[in-house]
Amino acid sequence: MGQQIESALRQSMHRVVVVLVSFLPGVLVFLVAVVILTALGFLFAAIARRLLIALRFDERLASNETTGTPSSFSDWSPSHSPTLFITRAILWVCILSGIAIGISAVDASYSANSHLEQFLLPYLTHVLGAILLLFFGSLLARFLARSILIGAVNAQLQYARFLSLGVKWLVLVLAAAMALDHLQIGGVIIELAFGIMFGGIVLTLALAIGLGSRDLVSRSIEKTIEKPTPKPTEPTLFPDPAEAPRPKLRHF
Amino acid sequence: MSTTPIADLISPSALSAEARRSNAPLLICLPTVTADELQSLRDHILTALPGQQIFLATPGATASPDTGDGITLLDYTAAPHTRAGWALTAADFLAAAQLAAEYDAPATLLLGAEAASISPAALQQLADAVLTQKADLALPRYETGPHDALVSSALLYPLTNALFGTPTHLPLPLDAAFSSRMASRLATVARKPTAATPTEPLLWPVAEATIASFTVREVPAGHRTLPHPAETDLNTLLAEVIGSLFTDIEAKATFWQRARATIPAKPNLRPDPSTAEPEDITEMAETFRNAYTNLQEIWALVLPPQSLLGLKKVSRAPAEDFAMPADLWARTVYDFLLAYHLRTINRGHLLGALTPLYLAWVASHLRRSAGDAALAAFHVEETAAAFVAEKPYIVSRWRWPDRFNP
Repeated sequence: MGQQIESALRQSMHRVVVVLVSFLPGVLVFLVAVVILTALGFLFAAIARRLLIALRFDERLASNETTGTPSSFSDWSPSHSPTLFITRAILWVCILSGIAIGISAVDASYSANSHLEQFLLPYLTHVLGAILLLFFGSLLARFLARSILIGAVNAQLQYARFLSLGVKWLVLVLAAAMALDHLQIGGVIIELAFGIMFGGIVLTLALAIGLGSRDLVSRSIEKTIEKPTPKPTEPTLFPDPAEAPRPKLRHF
Repeated sequence: MSTTPIADLISPSALSAEARRSNAPLLICLPTVTADELQSLRDHILTALPGQQIFLATPGATASPDTGDGITLLDYTAAPHTRAGWALTAADFLAAAQLAAEYDAPATLLLGAEAASISPAALQQLADAVLTQKADLALPRYETGPHDALVSSALLYPLTNALFGTPTHLPLPLDAAFSSRMASRLATVARKPTAATPTEPLLWPVAEATIASFTVREVPAGHRTLPHPAETDLNTLLAEVIGSLFTDIEAKATFWQRARATIPAKPNLRPDPSTAEPEDITEMAETFRNAYTNLQEIWALVLPPQSLLGLKKVSRAPAEDFAMPADLWARTVYDFLLAYHLRTINRGHLLGALTPLYLAWVASHLRRSAGDAALAAFHVEETAAAFVAEKPYIVSRWRWPDRFNP
């Protein structure tokens, strides 16, 4: 009995060691691939940076950008430097390539039946896609929220912040739902939850705007109702200054 | 590069009759006018400049030689007035400059919409400033009330004066007179490619003249009918005009960081608040309070804590004490200019966030001026002086934007 248990344990330990021995070189190769590609990324980025600085890329781009445009390439660049943006893009492309090569190496170290790569690589692509969705979603949400906030304040709407927040969360919820759907997490629950949340936000906004604009609408309706013609009154020698029309502001 | 920007007021008596009857031809470019307006303008020109050889160019006119009164009528292709002629655009200056080169005119008088309302005296002052006093650019200073030309009073004049040292009260001109060398410079600038905007790009002749060390004069021009912009949305117009000015200032940063500004002379007037009846600005103050509540997070990206504190005090003040201090306004505009340069936030958002602050200055201006033109002028000069006093602030922040700024 004891011998059988000992034998079973030895066999289990042997299998674990075999798996570990076949896995560790794969991890080592993964790390080596990532380190080498990262180093290459730094090298390429440094070369590109020197080249772009020598070519005065930022200055040339700034002078070629049409003046007075509200947004430009520089708006999306870190520290508003297109050179920095390009060098960082090169570095990250190299690092991501290193990770992809490393995963292939890990897969190669396994037995032919494992097919880890066939599962991991597409999923990593989906993860990357989901991250990009979230990133651009949050950028769009911030841009739209600010646009709406400024537009609503300049239109003298009292609920400007509420409107801006509502739109911001609409876009964020949409981006999050898209990201989860892209990752195939949650399935129907996500769709259902998204539908409920989106509908809830829209309903809340509609109610808020509707209730907030009640006075505005009633004033607008009052204006359309035909007013009774005022009785002609005798002109007064000393008109009330409060009744005099205010001079129109001329900004230009 | 040194410059002697001068804005002097020329008295009509100082002009000699011989100078007025110079044989040098004067080119006058008009916008599209009706036959009646053309006749009225012709009469004004003859009254203002008797004996002067004049090329009068107007779109669609039948070219006719001098009929003995010294005026030769020319046809020319004026710029399409997408701005309904409320300001001269780069295309206007380019068309006039090309015509001046073609006819070898040493001086050009470019008139905007509603030109028939310009007085003969104003036409004479403008022409004489360039023809006899050898100014390169002469701009009219029309008499405006406390409710008129508010953007110029709040932003364009103080910024142009403080940064370029040229005190012209209407730097975005509706009419202008300029020499041949100024015309060629304006044509060069107007030919530069700019953004494909729905409207014609603007041009800032005062800044161009100043950096070229040309002489700029401002002449008193009495009353004139000021045309309305076709675009009625203040936010759009303000963003367009201020965006254009900020871009121009950004391009000329190396010059204005060295140029010394002229401290404008305040009118000899001691405002007496006890006699003036302030305007009711309750609604405008309330609007600013709403803007302060909602836009704090965006203003905080652009303005330092000290300015935010100042704005908080302004927003909390009751309508009868509502006032945007001149130094706070100057610093705020400079901070927005810097944020425009550094692209701290999207430029469209930035200029949109400036609108409520500008309207707060307008409310403050209306309360201070109390409907009186002299009090309004005093407040405008006070604002301009604050911009000059705060100029070291923008120069310092422009050079070292990351330095600690409380």
